[in-house]
Amino acid sequence: MSGHSANNVAAVVGVGNTDWPQDQRAVRAGARPTDAYGYGAIALQRALADAGIDKSEVDGLITAPYTPVERAAELYGINPRWGSVSDAMQSVLTATMAISAGLCEVVALVLGFNQRSGGFKYGGTGTLGAASNLSYVYHEPWGLTSQGALYALMYRRYMELHGTSEADLGQVAVAQRQWAVGNPNAVMRKPITIEDYLASAYVAEPLHIFDYCLINDGGVALIIAEKERAKRITKRPVNIRAIGRADMHDQSTTLKPRLLDFYHPGHTLVSKQVYDAVGMGPKDMDAVQIYDSFSPHIPVALEGFGFCNVGEGCRFIAETGIGPGGGLPVNTSGGHLSESYMQGWNHQIEAVRQVRGDAATQVPNCRNVQYISDVVGKVFSIIYGVD
Amino acid sequence: MASVPTYFSMYDEPFWESVSRDETRLQCCSSCSTYRYPPGACCPNCLSLEAEWVPVSGKGRVLSWTTIHRQYLPAYPAGSTVVVVHLEEGPIMVTHFDTEDVGKLRIDLPVTLTYSTHPDGYRLPKFTLGENKTG
Repeated sequence: MSGHSANNVAAVVGVGNTDWPQDQRAVRAGARPTDAYGYGAIALQRALADAGIDKSEVDGLITAPYTPVERAAELYGINPRWGSVSDAMQSVLTATMAISAGLCEVVALVLGFNQRSGGFKYGGTGTLGAASNLSYVYHEPWGLTSQGALYALMYRRYMELHGTSEADLGQVAVAQRQWAVGNPNAVMRKPITIEDYLASAYVAEPLHIFDYCLINDGGVALIIAEKERAKRITKRPVNIRAIGRADMHDQSTTLKPRLLDFYHPGHTLVSKQVYDAVGMGPKDMDAVQIYDSFSPHIPVALEGFGFCNVGEGCRFIAETGIGPGGGLPVNTSGGHLSESYMQGWNHQIEAVRQVRGDAATQVPNCRNVQYISDVVGKVFSIIYGVD
Repeated sequence: MASVPTYFSMYDEPFWESVSRDETRLQCCSSCSTYRYPPGACCPNCLSLEAEWVPVSGKGRVLSWTTIHRQYLPAYPAGSTVVVVHLEEGPIMVTHFDTEDVGKLRIDLPVTLTYSTHPDGYRLPKFTLGENKTG
């Protein structure tokens, strides 16, 4: 084992999640099923059961920012040797780093998020994430605060540069809804067509409502263990074969990395990190999970990671197909647009389930699944797989 | 009634003070002449804390735009448009944009800085189409 890499040192041994559609219905009816810690607890119970271990075996704990790790550890009855707080992709990276450094062997990663019942806002004053992302609030005097508007600006420029249409982008929402139709735990399961998409309301033009992620309560948990320990815990560990990260923060408040570069320099750096680590390329990926707070992420990420050339993302989607039965399955649970908006956490557990072969809509012969994101200036990729 | 927008740091005040006089000044590093916008404590190029406030030419080109079909803010009803402009000097600025001209927007179109008044009472830099429509 290399002591200087986060690649191939750990494996996912258990995953769990809350009942997103049921909780969404309850919250819409005015109920508060639980709070952020409670959603995290349900997901953690299920991830531990999935791994077949007791929480006494957990010696590392990572939580999302909505549940500070100290209080979460108190409630969950875990006294870890090591703990941290971070977003989904950084949590996977930090867990493998802590394991690689010998600080712990079995890490529980827990997201609990009551964004719907808690009234979290993603536009207007008091929007979420403003402290770390000045772009969410700085332009308020001129009328720009919604995060969706930032992606509308990106896709408007993309359309102008590459001659694509709203319908070209609409393929993403339509395909992801097709995946969600086969997923009993997806919040939005009614099929939609391109015609439905084009007839739907704009939010920030040219984006339609179907280009936006859901806002729902829930939780996700993963149990990640040192690779040899993982084999003793379960017969079906999913290896974290490679992780890469590259940040692009230069002039991020004024959207330079997104509007001028589409984050492609970061995509290039990270794709080299992860593909070199596994000796594979885009064509070897059996499915891809892409962070989709808004649908323009998909064509731009596919271009940046070399699935197609820059400017050809929409054509690639049309010709190859990213829905069920397509040449490149993308966001196979329905993603943030149709399954659940768990800020990248649900993509991790879907990647694990696809590799294990027990996903709701299983991709045949699925051995390597790539995760990609480029939110708030941080380009990330993780390749999950089996040896 | 005169008011000021939210300041996110102590460095925002000189920017808005210049705008209140219809003269947009941006922070420019005293050591290496790199502009920084939004204003901030140090130069991303050389980390110097020294800066001068330099008036901008007001010339730029359109990078993108969006019309927001919901009302998120009291001052901006549904249907308001924002434009993103690449300034001649290098920084990028986001401003509101006149609704009647939205249909004419294309990327790389030249635009010029002018001013309007926010409903809360403070002056705002904004961009309009054309090379020389200052007034």
